[in-house]
Amino acid sequence: MTQDTTKGALFIKATVLTLGALLLFAPFLFQDTRSLEVAARICIFVVLVASYDLLIGYTGIVSFAHTMFFGFGAYGAAIALKKMGPGWDAVLVGTLAGLAVSIVVAIAVGLLSLRVKAIFFAMITLAAASVALVLASQLSDLTGGEDGITYKAPQIFKTATKLMVDENGKVARLFGVKLNGKLAAYYFVFASCLALFVLCLRMVGSPLGTVLKAIRENEARAEAIGYRVVAYRTFVFVIAAIAASLAGTIYAVWLKYTGPDTALSFTIMIDILLMVVIGGMGTMYGAVIGATLLVIAQYYLRDLMGAASEALHGWPLLPELFAPDRWLLWLGIIFILLVYFFPKGIAGTISAMGARS
Amino acid sequence: MSQPSLVTEGLTIRFGGHVAVNNVSCAFNPGELTVIVGPNGAGKTTYFNLISGQLAASEGRVLKGGEDITRLAPSARAHRGIGRAFQLTNLFPALSVLENIRLAVQARSGHGWRVLKNVTSFASLTEEAKHYLEATKLADKAHMAAAALPHGDQRKLEVALLMAMEPDIYMFDEPTAGMSLDHTPDVLELIGKLKEDKTKTVLLVEHKMSVVRALADRIIVLHNGELLADGPPDEVMQSQIVRDVYLGSSGEDAA
Repeated sequence: MTQDTTKGALFIKATVLTLGALLLFAPFLFQDTRSLEVAARICIFVVLVASYDLLIGYTGIVSFAHTMFFGFGAYGAAIALKKMGPGWDAVLVGTLAGLAVSIVVAIAVGLLSLRVKAIFFAMITLAAASVALVLASQLSDLTGGEDGITYKAPQIFKTATKLMVDENGKVARLFGVKLNGKLAAYYFVFASCLALFVLCLRMVGSPLGTVLKAIRENEARAEAIGYRVVAYRTFVFVIAAIAASLAGTIYAVWLKYTGPDTALSFTIMIDILLMVVIGGMGTMYGAVIGATLLVIAQYYLRDLMGAASEALHGWPLLPELFAPDRWLLWLGIIFILLVYFFPKGIAGTISAMGARS
Repeated sequence: MSQPSLVTEGLTIRFGGHVAVNNVSCAFNPGELTVIVGPNGAGKTTYFNLISGQLAASEGRVLKGGEDITRLAPSARAHRGIGRAFQLTNLFPALSVLENIRLAVQARSGHGWRVLKNVTSFASLTEEAKHYLEATKLADKAHMAAAALPHGDQRKLEVALLMAMEPDIYMFDEPTAGMSLDHTPDVLELIGKLKEDKTKTVLLVEHKMSVVRALADRIIVLHNGELLADGPPDEVMQSQIVRDVYLGSSGEDAA
């Protein structure tokens, strides 16, 4: 049976809507800087994972260059904001520059190599991503090298900016939350990421989306019934690159810092892969679930384990096992369990449940 | 007879030193069902691949309605009306039966690049796809995944997919292979119906002599990549050369 009518699919949709609502009200629900940091990171990664899912889950293209496009967007904004000063003109120039580089590189990589076998394509993207990483650390005049670039965001996003003032001239509060530039910046991130995610969602439900699935299922037959496979694959590769580049720009504006670790490193690529697998390939909603779970684990698992370790004080061995330094071990175990119990990812596996209702 | 719809001129392909299809010149006419026979390894499927574009010819030309299509990609040939079904079942396994057919209808309609509208808003595509499902008696299985169909129904879906492309040239490669006897008549009936439309050209690779006798207007025989015989069924079946090939007394290896 088709998957959108199962109880499991409804459950996943409800979960994703709940997560969306939590992200929408995050500044009011979780009133501290770290939580807002986490919420913004989740928004960004939802876009990165959703656009990556267009490639790996819907079309069957394995690329390791997704962070490269993310980096182009981030560095575009960073360099423009650094050189031109904090203004919307700089953001615009940075966005367009990042997009231009991403589109040109994506078309070049796509046309040159999407004809070859999947494994060679994956290797070529890996090589391109490595080159981008080396360039970012070598061209230190432009990129700040390993140290990266620190810059100022547009005026309206500064923490000191008052969006509204009360009668005493102080920043106004709504439900105890300061209506300052930080709030504006968060909603800038949230709204742009929501728009990009909805675009990805619309794409997979469109006629083009079904062609992509056909290519994943049976490339030769898709070509034989009249779809130019190379053109479609290159097109979706470019679309994914555009989404990643825009996500990079948004993240750069939010962080006010761009360096290899935040925008280009292979750690980010691995995070994206983990999120896609945890959420479920070819599900789109899985992007929201995967990104939320992994980002929260990365930020809070250590704290949780610290607390567990304290609580188990006096027991043999256990406090050591739960020591915060072991958090990566536990993350690994959780990942293995997830893959074991949810072979199609959380969204994929649960969506297939309740089909006989 | 009117102008031939499909012509191959000196069509040849070599794989290293091996010549799989050797200088085959043949013209096919609208309203005619041609069965291509020959022993295993005779080059029948390779000849099909050269016509529908999965393989590029080493020499010679393929003409569709007078236009040279020898260098075109398979998708471009599909848009020019060449429809190809495959010997091994070759569907989109995880997609539903309806989606399989809708993809073929959509390819013809040119909506494949539409990005932002939902597929369900293209109701005419779905309606047309359902029409082909009814014609092939698959309508009650529209929402099953193609991979979950019994083998016989998968073969029918293969035929439905080809019909949904609405080609001028239908190419079937052993459409009844691996089918149980009670399913075979369904598929043959479908192919027989195509013949009734006198604007269509049908090419059929088939081993079963009962099928050949029932459907063929014309038979061509390939052997070791060469065109050995060409003519009306009775004449070709009676000829000494064909008997030699099928009885294996020609002395050559039929690799």
